[in-house]
Formats: sequence, structure tokens, C-alpha cells
Amino acid sequence: MATATLTPANPVVPKSKGRILVDWLTTTDHKKIGYLYLITSFVYFLIGGVMALMIRAQLTLPGLEIVASKEQYNQLFTMHGTIMLLMFATPLFAAFANILMPVQIGAPDVAFPRLNAIAYWFYFFGSFVAVAGFFTPQGAASFGWFAYVPLSTSTFSPGIGGDLWVFGLALGGFGTIMGGVNFITTILTMRAPGMTMWRMPVFTWNTLVTSILVIMIFPPLAAALFALGADRKFGSHIFDPANGGAMLWQHLFWFFGHPEVYVLALPFFGIISEIFPVFSRKPIFGYKTLIYATIAIAALSMTVWAHHMYVTGQILLPFFAFTTMLIAVPTGVKVFNWIGTMWRGSISFETPMLWTLGFLTTFIFGGLTGVILSSPTLDFNLSDGYFVVAHFHYVIFGTVVFAMFAGIFFWYPKMTGKMLNERLGKIQFWMLFVGFHGTFLIQHWLGVMGMPRRYATYLPEDGFTFMNEVSTAGSVILALSFLPFLWNVYITHRKGVLVKVNDPWGYGRSLEWATASPFPRHNFTSIPLIRSESPAFDLNHPEASGTVATKKTVKKG
Amino acid sequence: MRFNAKLFWFLTAFYLLDAVAYTWWMLAEPYQGITSGGPALFGAKFEIIGTAALAMLGIMSAFLAFYLGKTARNQGPVPEDNTTAKISDGESEIGFFNPWSWWPFFLGLFGSLVFASLAVGWWLFFIGFPLAFVALIGFVFENYRGQHAH
Repeated sequence: MATATLTPANPVVPKSKGRILVDWLTTTDHKKIGYLYLITSFVYFLIGGVMALMIRAQLTLPGLEIVASKEQYNQLFTMHGTIMLLMFATPLFAAFANILMPVQIGAPDVAFPRLNAIAYWFYFFGSFVAVAGFFTPQGAASFGWFAYVPLSTSTFSPGIGGDLWVFGLALGGFGTIMGGVNFITTILTMRAPGMTMWRMPVFTWNTLVTSILVIMIFPPLAAALFALGADRKFGSHIFDPANGGAMLWQHLFWFFGHPEVYVLALPFFGIISEIFPVFSRKPIFGYKTLIYATIAIAALSMTVWAHHMYVTGQILLPFFAFTTMLIAVPTGVKVFNWIGTMWRGSISFETPMLWTLGFLTTFIFGGLTGVILSSPTLDFNLSDGYFVVAHFHYVIFGTVVFAMFAGIFFWYPKMTGKMLNERLGKIQFWMLFVGFHGTFLIQHWLGVMGMPRRYATYLPEDGFTFMNEVSTAGSVILALSFLPFLWNVYITHRKGVLVKVNDPWGYGRSLEWATASPFPRHNFTSIPLIRSESPAFDLNHPEASGTVATKKTVKKG
Repeated sequence: MRFNAKLFWFLTAFYLLDAVAYTWWMLAEPYQGITSGGPALFGAKFEIIGTAALAMLGIMSAFLAFYLGKTARNQGPVPEDNTTAKISDGESEIGFFNPWSWWPFFLGLFGSLVFASLAVGWWLFFIGFPLAFVALIGFVFENYRGQHAH
């Protein structure tokens, strides 16, 4: 892995359209697979977003019939949840991990490049199968994205849409497991000499921990989905309510479902932890604490699943309430570390930093309402209402979307060699920030007033009308904020200037800033000496690092 | 011991401890509204799912920790864990990487036919399975040149 001369710079790219297509279909290059993940998941993000807009339009006023039938409304929120969680956010983790992690540890590729490709194609085709229900006469799955039995059995939800959903997700789940195995193996075996575990960038650490979660939770999901598929198609009785199957499904699903939230959160915490030091001109505050906090979150996250099941009255409430409250502690430690990184730093507000601060604001809101919901007495009143909807949109949108844009703006020069337009980025940020909080902040109060989730409409006498109008108006601004971004990508592609330097932001820390932009085929033409967790910074700013005797300091001394 | 093994030993201890704590708590407060499911134990309806899930997480972590520890012992010191290693210390062959491959795409495509056939009907299975089987063989034996031929 440490050969100093792998390939000169970018190899000659095949020019004809057919060659380019074949090149992408057959690629085993971790970066190209990462870009495929990024593009596919972003397309699903837009599709899921359009579904969300239809849901919001339907709820603007009482008694609307924008969505033709209640069944279609059920399909919309089911597929919105499924797409956003399993076809957008989870593969987005694979996207960033694929593009960056091998570079950050100084490896030429991942450990299993073909397995990596197959993981992507399983995700691609599995997702297509899962959403293909929309092309069938009865439509897609409509039992909610967590598919509670007996609602999701063939008795109550007949139709091929549900079957396709079950088996499509199972296939996609195998892709995710393969991705997780691949990332773990790569991190454990392919690090460059001198890149000890305790010198890995925070993003790589979080990729490792997230992948461990993936191999713990996706196999139970696959098993549960196959069992549900057997119930639906082959007449088995695994989730028969007479055998306690309703609770069994909920346990299996949330044993996957809750750590899944951390699968979505941790890699994006990693992105954030890469960006704060660069734009604060300080090393990350408490590197080891941050890593231990990540490990603690991952360990605890496996023990909290039944807090989604408080209202069943059939779980050990104090245990799950205790672990759920406990998990707020390492998360708080992380927030403390991020603020400590900015503290007395020389902060500048380029777009990646702006998105990062947007993440911090939004995520803390979501974290606080999470602590409220961890208390069973409060949860009994708020469960299955809009307070919960607002809570998890703050958490997930706050981490995934804000951190995704932070990462895209931050690493765009690494991926394409061109910088995105800063002004358009700032316009987009403020539109999205206002739109997001406009949509979801008010939903907390809707939940407190008692508006239940997943209902297709409400009555004028309920008093929800004004708040729903505000929420829908916010969602329109949120949707419009994507126009500047798409325009930004387009004009950067057409008119952007190549950056030509290794480190366009000037204070990059991890190894990806010590190689060319865009990345060469096997990532490095030469790797600098690794003596700390920020080798690129040591290389470019030897006067400030003090941890390494570089050529310059040796000459001076 | 390398840190990666330590990490999994830590997880092992944590989950086994959790399994014990969960079980104890369940027995100590058997009135937790548990009305169905689970075997009757010590006169109380005992819900076993938390114990089982947490203990199995512990076993899985122990399995990985043991494997990583054993591999590290067999392997001896490696340059990536040497804090003063030079990049040139890692000059060994790291294996063969396919520059490109058609098989992942086809295995994904035909595999999705097999999975979709479980939902759609057996007729699709009989189309998808042979194709997926060929793709699987192609994927596995892509770099196979006969025994000892490398």
C-alpha cells in the first residue's frame, strides 16, 4: 500500500459515451463507487422530497384531497420514510466512507474492491425493487416504514407492492452489510505505515464504529424481512399475533431501527469533526474523548431499542429509559468538543463551516427533544404525534442533510477539482435553514396539541389549520433551496476553475489534503510521513505543528 | 494487544454486563406490565428478548475480539501500528486488485430478479436463478486460473 509511485496523475479518461458508461458500470475504484452512491442517494433524496411536499400539500388545510385517496397517502408517507432512511441516508454513509476513508488512511483502494461494487449494485437494484410497487396497479407498500405486524401481513395489506418492499429492502440490506464488512477490513488492515488507530481522522474512526453497528443490526433486519416475506407469501406464522408475533416484530425491527439512527448520525458527526478544525484553525479539541464518545454512543445505541415501544406496555421501562437518557451524555461530550474546537479559534465562515454550524444548531434541538421523549411518562402523551415527527426530523435532517451539504461543499474540490460557488452556497444555506425550521419547529406545538402522525387530514375544529399552513409554507422554501444547489453544480461543471492545489481551504488536516485535487486513480503519488492525526497539516504548516521534525524545521535547527 | 482487539473486548464486556443487568432488573421488577410472551420463570412472566439480544451481541463481539487478537499475535508487529514508521516500511505486496469487473453489475442485476421473483412469482425465479447462478460463478472464479496456477 505504501508504494510511492502507483500511477502518475489522472489516467486518460475514455472519451466516447459508451466507454464512459461501461467504465462506470464495471468500476471497482472506491471513489467512483462512492460517486455512484452519492449520485444515486441524492436522486432518491429528491424523490423522497417530492413525496414529502405532496404530504405537506395534503395537510395544508383541513379536508383537502390533493392526494387522491387515503391509501395513496399511506403509500406516500411509507415510501417517504423508507426512501429517506434506507435509500438516501444509509447509502450516503457508504458514499462518503467510500470516497474518503481509504484516502484518509493512506490506502490505494478498499480491501475488497469487487465486493464494494457488488454492495453498490445490490443497493441500486434492491432499492429499485422496493420502490417498484409504484408501477403496480395497487401501488407501493402502505403500512408505514416500520411495517408493524399484523398490519403488514397479507391479511391487512395484500398486494405486490408490500412484497416488493420486503424483498427489495432485504437485497439492499445485504449490500449494506457487505459495505460494512469492507470498511472494517479496510480500516483494520490497509492503513499506511505510521497511521496507528489513534492517528486516524475522526471521520475514519466514525466509519469504523458505524460499520461495526452495521454488521450488528442489518443481519437481524434481513432475517426479520425474510420472515415477514415468508408470512406474506408462503403462509408461515412467524409473526402471527397469536404467538406474540406483534411484539417479536417490533423488537426485531427496533433492534435494527434504533442503532440505524446512529448509523445515520455517526458518519456525519465524523464529517462535522473534520470541518470544524479546518475553519477554526485549531486541532480538534479532545481527539481521544471524541473517539471514546463515539464508541460509547455506538455501544449504548444497541441497548436502547425498546424506547420506541414504551406505549406497548410490555417492555422493561426503567432499563430502556435509563440507557436512553445515558446516551445523551456521550452525545453531549461531542457537542462540548465541537464547541471547544471553535473556542478562541480563528473562525471563518466559508460554506462548509456555515453548514456545520447549521448542523450543530439543528441537531441540538433534536437532541433536547430526544431527552424529553426518553422519559416514559412524557412519551406516553407524545408518542405517535407530531412532536415525535418534529423530533426525528430535527435529528435526522440536522445530521444527515446539513452535514451532507457541509461535506459536499468541503470535499467538492477533492472530488471534481473545482470549488462550488460560495455565494450560491450561502443563499442555499439560508433558504434551507429558514425553510427547514419553518417546516418543523411548529410541528412540536402541533404534537403538543395532539395532532397524530400519519393521518391524511384533520378537522377545522381541531385548531391545527394555522400551524399546518406555516409548516407547508416552510416546506416550500425548503424545496426551493435546492434550486440554487442544482444551479451551483451546473455552473461549476460548466465554468468552474480548476483549483490545482492539494489543499484549497489552506488548513486541511487529514491525508486527503496531501494528494492532488481531484484524486489520482490510486489516491497518492506520494504519502507524507505520518506522525499525528493531521499529517497533511504537519506537511503544509510545519511551523505550527511542532509534532514532527520536517525538512524545514530540521534545516532551521 | 492491538487496540482493535481491545475495542471488541470492551464491547464484549459491556454487552454481557448489560445482559446481566437487564435480566436482574427484569426479575427484580416482574410487575413491569408484562402480560404475554416468554417462559414463566421464578413465578413471574419472564421476558427473555433483552437478555438474548444483549448476550448474543456480547458473544459476537467476543468472537471478533478473539479473532483479531489471534491474528495480531500470529502476524507480529506491523508498520501501521508503529508510531515511528516510514512510508517505505510498508513496501510489501498487498494483493491483486481488479481494475474493473462486469460481474458485480450482473450479479446485482440478476440477484435482484431472484429477490423480486419471491414477490412476483415463481416464473421469474426460473428466469432469474440460472442467470444469477452464472453471475455468481463468474464473480467467484473471475480470477481463478486453476489450482496453484498463480
